[in-house]
Amino acid sequence: MSERHHVIVGMGITGNEAAITLRRREPQSRITIVTLASLLFYNRYDLPQVFRGKHDWREFLVHPPAFYDDNRITVRRNSRVSNVDPLNKVMTLEHKEDIPYDTLLVATGGRGWIPEELAEFRPLMQGFGSFEQAITVARALPEGGGRVVMLGGDMIGLDLARTLIDTGHRVTLVAGEQTFWPHQVPAERRPAFVAALEAMGVEVVEQDSVGGVAQIAQGAKGLPARRVVFRDGSELMADVVMPFYGIQPAIDFMGRTGVDVERGLLVNPELRTTDGSIWAAGDVCQIWSQEENRYRFYYGWRNVRAMGEVAAGNMTGGNDAFVADQDEKLEIDAEGRLVSPFWEYA
Amino acid sequence: MDATDIQILIVGSAGDGTIAAGNILRQALAEAGYKVISFDVYPPEIRGFGKCIARMRATIAQAYSLKQQSDVMLSLDDSHAIPHVGEVRDWGAVLYESKPVANAPQGHITGHIRPGQIPYGCAIREISEKATGANRSRNIVALGYLAGLYGLPREAFHAIIDRQFKKRGAEVASVNRKAFDEGYAAGAGAFKLDDVAFGPPQPNVAPGTVVEMINGNAAVVKGCLDAGIDCFFGYPITPATTIMERLATEMPRHGKRLVQTEDEISAISATIGAGFAGTRSATATSGPGLSLMQEMLGLGTMAEVPSVVFVSQRGGPSTGMPTKTEQSDLNSALFGGHGDAPRIVMAPTNVEGCYRCAGKAFEMAEAYQTPVIVLLDLYLSNRYETVAFGQKSPFEPDVNKRPRKQDLGAGYKRFALVEGGVSPRAVPGDAGGMHIVTGLEHNEMGRPADSAEMHLAMCDKRLDKLKGALVHPDFTVTKRFGAMGKAAVGLLAWGSTFGECLEAMFQAEKEGIDCAAMKVVMLSPFPEEAVSAFMDDCAAVLVPELNHDGQFARLVQGTLGRKVVKLTRVPGVPMRVSDILGEIRRLAGRNLPQAAE
Ligand SMILES: Cc1cc2nc3c(=O)[nH]c(=O)nc-3n(C[C@H](O)[C@H](O)[C@H](O)COP(=O)(O)OP(=O)(O)OC[C@H]3O[C@@H](n4cnc5c(N)ncnc54)[C@H](O)[C@@H]3O)c2cc1C
Repeated sequence: MSERHHVIVGMGITGNEAAITLRRREPQSRITIVTLASLLFYNRYDLPQVFRGKHDWREFLVHPPAFYDDNRITVRRNSRVSNVDPLNKVMTLEHKEDIPYDTLLVATGGRGWIPEELAEFRPLMQGFGSFEQAITVARALPEGGGRVVMLGGDMIGLDLARTLIDTGHRVTLVAGEQTFWPHQVPAERRPAFVAALEAMGVEVVEQDSVGGVAQIAQGAKGLPARRVVFRDGSELMADVVMPFYGIQPAIDFMGRTGVDVERGLLVNPELRTTDGSIWAAGDVCQIWSQEENRYRFYYGWRNVRAMGEVAAGNMTGGNDAFVADQDEKLEIDAEGRLVSPFWEYA
Repeated sequence: MDATDIQILIVGSAGDGTIAAGNILRQALAEAGYKVISFDVYPPEIRGFGKCIARMRATIAQAYSLKQQSDVMLSLDDSHAIPHVGEVRDWGAVLYESKPVANAPQGHITGHIRPGQIPYGCAIREISEKATGANRSRNIVALGYLAGLYGLPREAFHAIIDRQFKKRGAEVASVNRKAFDEGYAAGAGAFKLDDVAFGPPQPNVAPGTVVEMINGNAAVVKGCLDAGIDCFFGYPITPATTIMERLATEMPRHGKRLVQTEDEISAISATIGAGFAGTRSATATSGPGLSLMQEMLGLGTMAEVPSVVFVSQRGGPSTGMPTKTEQSDLNSALFGGHGDAPRIVMAPTNVEGCYRCAGKAFEMAEAYQTPVIVLLDLYLSNRYETVAFGQKSPFEPDVNKRPRKQDLGAGYKRFALVEGGVSPRAVPGDAGGMHIVTGLEHNEMGRPADSAEMHLAMCDKRLDKLKGALVHPDFTVTKRFGAMGKAAVGLLAWGSTFGECLEAMFQAEKEGIDCAAMKVVMLSPFPEEAVSAFMDDCAAVLVPELNHDGQFARLVQGTLGRKVVKLTRVPGVPMRVSDILGEIRRLAGRNLPQAAE
């Protein structure tokens, strides 16, 4: 009998953890990970270190290349899944290759979400989701200290802001509803958190006070590379403009599978989708919460890693439910600093 | 990496333009000022079938062979490239078509790229179609991508593309330039993640020299022309054919004659005839052709007529492996044919050596009045290297074209038994030079004579006169490298494999092993003294060669009565440096793990 083939789409923390668990539980089965990235799994939480001079991507790798060879985990980099056919249990890659699977784990996370009114300015903004993007930002900042305008702000952006300020750059945050995403901050506590941000050195411009962004343009010759124009006519110069508005699950390739979808892929607490051979875990899925009586996202590195482990366990005969083990509260410590469980990864 | 030492591998199917892309790339690298060594492998089949590989190594310091592992691979056909993905080192790059029309039977190449390698997908076909309206320029787009990724100077490529395609019209050249530029932009825009970096080249051209990117066969041609070849007679055979092809273009321009004969027997017969007439003449063949030439080579020895025979070896016996390299015609070159028929046999070890041996072969054929065989092999014939050539020919002109004594006088003896064995030679038309020449054993006048004494005297003469070749002016008979005093291991090698030996020696030295190497260019007459002295210095002597039986090892052992360690391989491709290094370690008493190159 041929060995079972477990296919994981996504090589983030979830997909990587799932692969390791699968190998531990089934030494013989075939394991394939498919990822859009050119690099093996690396620690994205560490990306702000790029601004402290860590420019060799190899230092970010969580496992050396030999780890995947030793564990017989095939990694398909630079590969995009374009379709999944659950009936025949075949997944198609964009370069027209069919990959049959026995079990499929979707761990494609999400991509940075950008409000519609900003979409046309996408080429003038810098993302921060990958090593390549982080380096591009670092290269765009002048050595003696540059200026970054962050639009929106979420806990990933704010983490980056801490490092940028620490390394001599100026950060202006155009704050809005998403500023502390994924934390849900009650309106009455918001001013205190904003004050904590200012204490960190972030210059905060409330989006409401300037009426939102009207335009992002190239900077004039001799001036910083970007100009952000607000609806009230005020402007900000910046070397780099970065949007941080939370993420949107990456599920476009699942359109024809017929599995249930809301914003993310809907899974039961065992992380199984409505198709018996397909699981989903990480930022891409909404999990049924008994307590809240709804499907909800669970963010944070500890949660998504645990999801990878649970899904892999269940793909190999287990029947465990995912239990969130990450506190979701944002706090201010005695010294007035923001404290987020999201940042406790060191 | 501090100094540039980058090997690039291009793999495609016949018809993909693999070798053409390799050709442009190696020329561009050479013109940019890197030293380049390069070797292509292609199938015997016609267009549309079979695998083609272009491999090239660009360095700043002199390199002597290709590396076992490449730094960059460009796939123009995944089904052929997939088996070679493993040749790319960790942190090296694999470039491929990201939008194939169909996938290889083994799946897409991304399924085979190892975790340590960096994948770069490029929509090669799409870019080609956009830039040129067709997908024919895929190879040029891919080349552009590679050049853009590594920031290689675009202008060098433009000039070469123009040169390469201008024969097919200005439009073709401009379309390909466009294809290159589009590929270049895509490569320059890619985020570079591998650690392959081209350092600034060092165009260290010595005054009065011109650097040329040239392969072994082309170097032979250049040597022939610089030595003033008059006539060439040949019959095509892989891998020697390109010698004749090039000469066919060049010789008429210099007022010289080339005839394609009906077979190899005619070719050697005509060569000897032309030699008898006092011209510099040559032929070129491979192992099967050499077999056919043996009888006439015996005549050349017996009649003491100068002739030059270039033999590019391939896998044998019989038709064997026409597109694979081997060093298995040494015995045939040294001992082929009947009777005691000594001749000069030399084997260059690199492309520059092909040039020098070619020119010197004519000098020696004349000086010692004998056939001279220059032994190349497919690897050397097709291997490209950057070579700095002087602007003046280093070869002595034909004696027959120098002012000479017109009247040989009465009593002229064509085969006079003189000191050193080289008798005064007459060519047809020389006053007083009338004599008889046949294939029969003869006396000093050339008249048939088969007494025991005369046969012995003539055998001695024909052998003794060759000794001069061991001290022929400006000719490297042997050369020693590495440790100059005592060495734990000595590498004794001939022909194209010597490059791999040198690389192995350098690595062994880095590991602290006292290692020396000697190349033996002159194989007959055998340089007994030099080889013996080398062996005196070495605790163990290893003889790596690409044949099954250890033909050179047997020659050394038989001639000197001393033991050597054989290292023989017949894979059809150059010997692996790691195989030689493994043997060096074993002989040096080191049981180190096989290190990757
Ligand atoms: C810069 C940065 C910093 C962060 N910092 C923190 C932090 O401090 N604390 C914290 O808790 N969280 C942090 N996060 C968020 C955290 O990384 C995510 O919760 C986590 O990465 C989600 O993991 P995942 O495995 O679900 O998906 P991801 O890590 O997003 O991985 C998705 C994978 O799916 C692949 N993929 C997507 N679509 C396809 C497709 N169609 N075909 C094939 N492959 C596909 C991608 O290439 C990728 O490999 C940060 C995220 C970023 C980007």
